[in-house]
Amino acid sequence: MPAEPALALHDVAVEFPRRDAAVLRGITLRLEPGEHLIVLGASGSGKSTLLQAITGVVPHTVLSTLTGSVSVKGTATTDASVVELSRHVGVLAQDPSSGVCLPDVEQELALPLENRAVPPEHISARIDHALSLVGAAGLRQRQTNKLSGGEGQRVALAASLIAEPALLLLDEPTSMLDPAGLTAVRQAIDAAAAAYGPAVVLVEHRLDDYAGRAGIAGLPGRALVLGDAGQVLADGATAAVLAGSAGRLNARGCWLPLETELLAVTGQPGGLGSRDVCSALRALALPDDDGGAPDAPGAGDTVLAAENVSVSRGAGRKKRRRRRADRVEPAILRNVNVELRRGEITALLGANGTGKTSLLLTLAGLLPPAEGTVLGARPGMVFQNPEHQFVAHTVAEEVRHGRPDAAPDFFNHLLEQHRLTHLADQSPFRLSGGEKRRLSVAAMLAHERPSLLADEPTFGLDRRDTIATASAFKQAAAGGSAILFSSHDLRTVAALADRAVVVAERTVIADGAVFDVLRDANVLARAGLRLPPLLDWLLAEFASDREIRRVLDRLDAAVSGGSSVQRLAGSRA
Amino acid sequence: MTAKSAELPASFASGSVLARRNPTVKLALLFVVSLAMVFIFDPVTPAVLYVVALAAVVASTRLPLRTLALGHVPFLAFGLGILMVNALSRPGYILWDAGPLRITAEGLSVGGSLALRTLVIGILAIGFIASTDGVALMGSLHQHARLGSRITYAVLAGYRMLQEMPREWQTIRQAHAVRAQLRPDGSLPSGLAAYGRAAFALLVVSVRKGERMAQSLESRGLGLTPRTTWRKIPLTRTDWLMAAAVLAVLGGIVYASHVLGFLEGYDALFS
Repeated sequence: MPAEPALALHDVAVEFPRRDAAVLRGITLRLEPGEHLIVLGASGSGKSTLLQAITGVVPHTVLSTLTGSVSVKGTATTDASVVELSRHVGVLAQDPSSGVCLPDVEQELALPLENRAVPPEHISARIDHALSLVGAAGLRQRQTNKLSGGEGQRVALAASLIAEPALLLLDEPTSMLDPAGLTAVRQAIDAAAAAYGPAVVLVEHRLDDYAGRAGIAGLPGRALVLGDAGQVLADGATAAVLAGSAGRLNARGCWLPLETELLAVTGQPGGLGSRDVCSALRALALPDDDGGAPDAPGAGDTVLAAENVSVSRGAGRKKRRRRRADRVEPAILRNVNVELRRGEITALLGANGTGKTSLLLTLAGLLPPAEGTVLGARPGMVFQNPEHQFVAHTVAEEVRHGRPDAAPDFFNHLLEQHRLTHLADQSPFRLSGGEKRRLSVAAMLAHERPSLLADEPTFGLDRRDTIATASAFKQAAAGGSAILFSSHDLRTVAALADRAVVVAERTVIADGAVFDVLRDANVLARAGLRLPPLLDWLLAEFASDREIRRVLDRLDAAVSGGSSVQRLAGSRA
Repeated sequence: MTAKSAELPASFASGSVLARRNPTVKLALLFVVSLAMVFIFDPVTPAVLYVVALAAVVASTRLPLRTLALGHVPFLAFGLGILMVNALSRPGYILWDAGPLRITAEGLSVGGSLALRTLVIGILAIGFIASTDGVALMGSLHQHARLGSRITYAVLAGYRMLQEMPREWQTIRQAHAVRAQLRPDGSLPSGLAAYGRAAFALLVVSVRKGERMAQSLESRGLGLTPRTTWRKIPLTRTDWLMAAAVLAVLGGIVYASHVLGFLEGYDALFS
């Protein structure tokens, strides 16, 4: 008997009402049992819709028209409900907090088995097995609301595989995790997929993180590239597909494995191991004919200062005047002395759970310091989830919020500067992730506060939006703002920040010029920070900070512009 | 930024005698006693029932006095309100008056009965809530009261969302506070409009999350038939014995009250 394909799509097109163009068109694909596929494409190319068409959410749950045929394990998705299809399909979505639904870990894992009428006496052993495969055996007795992002995602992975579906869909499974969580979930996916043996379809735009140190070898063996019109551009072995589409994917803002990105920019394969690539990178560090960009103006006067501040999460919970009477929670950071100066961008670094967010909230005046004082004018703050900030029903109202005094021209200019003019009448909640971030930054900058604080402002964004956010910060700093942002993305930090503040061991362990901090192996080790390979190489190769910055800038410039170095250098003049 | 409310144990009296009883049976008994109370309008019968129920709950849950007292607050307040209204407004034999205020014997009797009724239902509700794990209750309702699996698990998923809401609310309020116009004294405004905006943001974020959770539950096969139940919530002879005992005590007290001439029904309202 010929093996039935795990997944077969034939000439699939998907249209949504109120959208002119089809989101997917002419997709034909056959996935054998146990085969692993990665779907690549820029934001908006229909990657998520493809997954929804496989689970049956399109067209059953979401109002849409599907033509062509999709079948999972021989079952046509149009003939079966989403729930019926779940017998064959496991799904791991990106948000751990909604991927785990029940109060206890045990119940979460028992549910898929109960639903498939597994005899109760087998369930306990299968829970143990599934949890140990994802490296989460110790979590069995835990309550799900106490899990970290990485733990929650591993539990969700176990729950999606425990009933042994023929097909596993991974929808950006690591995009909302910090580096530690990411590594654990990556290992869990490999181990569990090997043990249960389902066919896998992975959608991911942070390919560099997902692939990790293994590079291209860390990705599924087969790759499919979707174009902007939702059509298949390439389908084949991942290494070959990446090589063929490197320039296009890089230009469209996908995060690529370093080797592929360097191929896209330098035209040379082999990554940092290749002499040609390295010499091309050295060429990127050379100044322009006109002597290179002018020096950034030095930092100005201090606009925000923390003096001997202790940060405590509990201090702000009750009203201020009752604070003394409350049981004071132990401070998570002590003796914090930080100064923010005009025109200077500072990065706040540290592992998860070290209190970076609480420190930012304290500096913003939203959490009272347990000890010490914060001096300076009221700062602005951009939150990690832009939706938490939105107060208005249109983009135009959103940027006006709290600024009734400013002239219409001011807002028009602001919208234009942040490429929001065409979205002015839309609801903030309906924007894409990158648009939401641009809006939240623009709405805060509208207040023209002397300092801007930002909590993981590039988190979850594709590369193009990351670069756009970084350039908005650069502009603000050039205009005289003092900026402090937290980030796990050391490459963005190196490309953007002038200064870095590192928190670990319940206090600030380093505060200095960004490259001095990044070169300090002792500080990085104590803070649990790991340099990405590119940065490692750059720091070893170049003594001058300006050269490193130039290479990073030019790599970023390849994203919105063309793919050749010459054109880049030309366009920068 | 921890939300303390989310860290309470699933039930205060876990492990107690009452906690080991079947949740559906407990809920049904709570319902039956409450229903019976609707027909009783004299103060003595509910007073006796209250004392007996209080003793039973204390003995079977070993609740700390403080928790018990705090749990009483809403019921006491409500009961006191009912007592006052009836005492002051019900016509009948006047015990005391001062100007427009007068207190009648009938008012005190009916009001006292209604207030004590509130306390009876209150103490049983306290016992039920303190001894019942929400998750076990849903499981038991699913098994023993034929509540559909989709509803059961939707409620459980909603419970998980509720756990995270206080934190989400706090973050949204902070995010909104950053851009709020300060009052002249430098403090943050706390107007209704600000709460409305924060509530809207919370609603949008929660609806999205609910949608994603619903998809997760469907992808786990919720709604497939047939299904099995892994950890059955036991329904034992002891549960039936408890039900019989409670009903017997209730019937006994009501009967004794009738024999002794205390019991009054609806007629008490019109005498």
